[in-house]
Amino acid sequence: MKKSCFLRGVFLALTFCVGACFPVWGAEPIKIGVIGPMQFTQGEGQWNGATLAAEEINKAGGVLVNGAKRPIELVKVDSNEFLSIPDATNAMELAISRYKVDFLVGGFRSEAVMVMQDIAMDNKKIFMGCGAAHPQLCERVAKNYDRYKYWFRVTPINSKFLVKVDFLVLDMVAKAMAKQLEIPKLKVAVVAEKAAWADPIVGIAQQSLPKMGMEIAGVWRPSPTATDTTAELSAIQRAGANIIFTTFSSSVGIPFAKQAGELKIPAPLVGINVEAQKDGFWNATGGKGNYTVTVGTYARVKIDDKTIPFFDKYEKQFKEAPNYTAGTYDAISILKHAIEKAATLDADKLVPFLEKTDMEVAAGRFVFTKDHDVTWGPGFITSVGTQWQDGKNMCVWPYNWEDLTYEGTVPYKLPDWVMEYYKKK
Amino acid sequence: MGFIWFYIRKIFTLFKCEVLVLPSRVALLVFVVALLLIPAFTQDPYLLWVLILTAIFSIFAASWDLLSGFTGQVNFGHALFFGVAAYTSGLINVYAKVPNFLSIPLAAIAGVLTGLIVGIPCLRLRGTYLALTTLAFPIILTGLIFALPEVTGGELGISGLDRLSTSRVYDYYITVVLMLVLTTIMWKITDSKTGILLHAIREDELAVRAGGINTTRYKLLAFCLSGFFAGIAGGLYAHIMRTVGPSTLEVALSFQVIIWSVFGGIVSIYGPVAGVFILFPLAEFLRILPKVRMLVFAVLVLLTLIYMPEGLIPWIRNKIEKECPRCKVRSIATRKTCRICAASLD
Repeated sequence: MKKSCFLRGVFLALTFCVGACFPVWGAEPIKIGVIGPMQFTQGEGQWNGATLAAEEINKAGGVLVNGAKRPIELVKVDSNEFLSIPDATNAMELAISRYKVDFLVGGFRSEAVMVMQDIAMDNKKIFMGCGAAHPQLCERVAKNYDRYKYWFRVTPINSKFLVKVDFLVLDMVAKAMAKQLEIPKLKVAVVAEKAAWADPIVGIAQQSLPKMGMEIAGVWRPSPTATDTTAELSAIQRAGANIIFTTFSSSVGIPFAKQAGELKIPAPLVGINVEAQKDGFWNATGGKGNYTVTVGTYARVKIDDKTIPFFDKYEKQFKEAPNYTAGTYDAISILKHAIEKAATLDADKLVPFLEKTDMEVAAGRFVFTKDHDVTWGPGFITSVGTQWQDGKNMCVWPYNWEDLTYEGTVPYKLPDWVMEYYKKK
Repeated sequence: MGFIWFYIRKIFTLFKCEVLVLPSRVALLVFVVALLLIPAFTQDPYLLWVLILTAIFSIFAASWDLLSGFTGQVNFGHALFFGVAAYTSGLINVYAKVPNFLSIPLAAIAGVLTGLIVGIPCLRLRGTYLALTTLAFPIILTGLIFALPEVTGGELGISGLDRLSTSRVYDYYITVVLMLVLTTIMWKITDSKTGILLHAIREDELAVRAGGINTTRYKLLAFCLSGFFAGIAGGLYAHIMRTVGPSTLEVALSFQVIIWSVFGGIVSIYGPVAGVFILFPLAEFLRILPKVRMLVFAVLVLLTLIYMPEGLIPWIRNKIEKECPRCKVRSIATRKTCRICAASLD
């Protein structure tokens, strides 16, 4: 009898210990579908960001819903949206109907996201966009709130603001050129890959640069997959450009930066160069991409208390720096915060709590606009400008912009060959 | 009463003597009945969605076969008809508020006009030159779409189109029934006098012309007919997706339709339909192998084409059925003699 009591006691104690160690044991998981082009770097970023968030949350016990901690279960859904829009819609249907996900994060190609957004809205599923920047995705919320209220964009910032940041970073470089090299009127070469998304940026550049006191040396549109851009670079040099304003999202960003470095073109590179956001850029350009500046979302600076830990953890786990689609990390954090406040998974009840989001995430202070877009500006999400400086991708913007400088930001550096060229002149 | 009974007996006799005697016809019957009965057993939204898209692409693939398979006018830019119709449907539905039961037929008419516009300059070309010229048209139109974003929506396309119907099951029946009706019409066209002429043009255009037949008129007719059916597919696609974008004109879609058709077996109409019904759901099934999905898909298609150069369905059909060398009627492969003229089949 005594032995039996003892064993029962041991069993109870063990059950308690196990229960305390694994508080989410047995609880029904919250299913989050991570949907994106999983065979491409953008999709990988989405999955990695989400994985990191889910691991952190599950390690801390899970998401508190109505007094019970529930773990997060991620479901990887390959949308293949770069190659096929029907594939993307099938993936969305699969996630909702078969995998029965509670929430969705991801999406990348704007045209595909529009269709996926409709499917999610038909099913009243909260879909947190983490890839497509087109303003129309959020304008739909403003136009038809009741239908599109389940859509929220977490990353990147609206393309209108992305262009604004692009020009702010250009302005910073232009001021450095004018100040250090005393060039009275700068000439800018506008170089954008031949792709539809780059067209509006070229148009805005043609209108805005003269207003910013700069002259346009010319517009060059290399192929997104070009491997040799020496002809364009030579023409740019002959046109007397002082700055090269780039708009690249494809592989052309590598040969362009590499060849500009090899030829020592006396004009620094600044703008959007998605390849330059990646860790592999330095090796891919053989170090010749030094001093290339690009606009991005994450850099190892203290935007807030969460940025550096996220950046380091991501780099340690995935052996690369996070790109902007890794914003699924922030999306899941925001979702967790709202679920815990609302104490429900019901989409209709969650929407008002998500709308009231005001919290620090890895990209900065996050607040949704009234049409469920990312609030941009000093004190909120700003994005960053980074520059490759001797093998390290350093944050150089914002630097004394609107009294804002993130801890760890360094001053922009002009390429040494540019300095030499103008000093000799 | 006796009149009705006579027809019932006639239908039964036809069914017994013309359908049940050939495995391919039994398979077709099972396929049609199964398609029509699926919603009675399951209304899984994902399954119905995949089948809806499969039905739409089947019409599209069969329309390519009508032009390129039967008439020999190899079209590498078939997405043009699909995209023009999808955009027409989208534009008139969103801007002019034309309901979908009108916008889809109007999209088909746009497909016919596109067939005329493309057909006239292409009539002078043959083979590789024709294929490359047709490839250029959707690319040119894509350029126009990006050049006029205020009208076409540019990169994002046009969104907010009316739904095809009020429920997924209705969508399913509309698309599947339309697919069955339209492919039957296409098959009947190819079996008609016009179809035989189209086939003859493909085999030897000079001989057909020597026979006093205006081949130009027939080739143009093939472009218009193909544009019409592809146009219906494009219109349906626009209302199912509720968004029309530049992807409807992508080169990838033009090649996709060729892969489906060649895989299933060209010059048959049913071959491309079967090709889509096998390959499109197969691509979905292969999601279980996410890393090698496209590789496995490509290898399967390649192996099929290496070992079955005429396509999967003609290969299977030739295995299970034999054609009589005398009367050309098909009989089941197990028979020694023709079921009609009793000629030896060996």
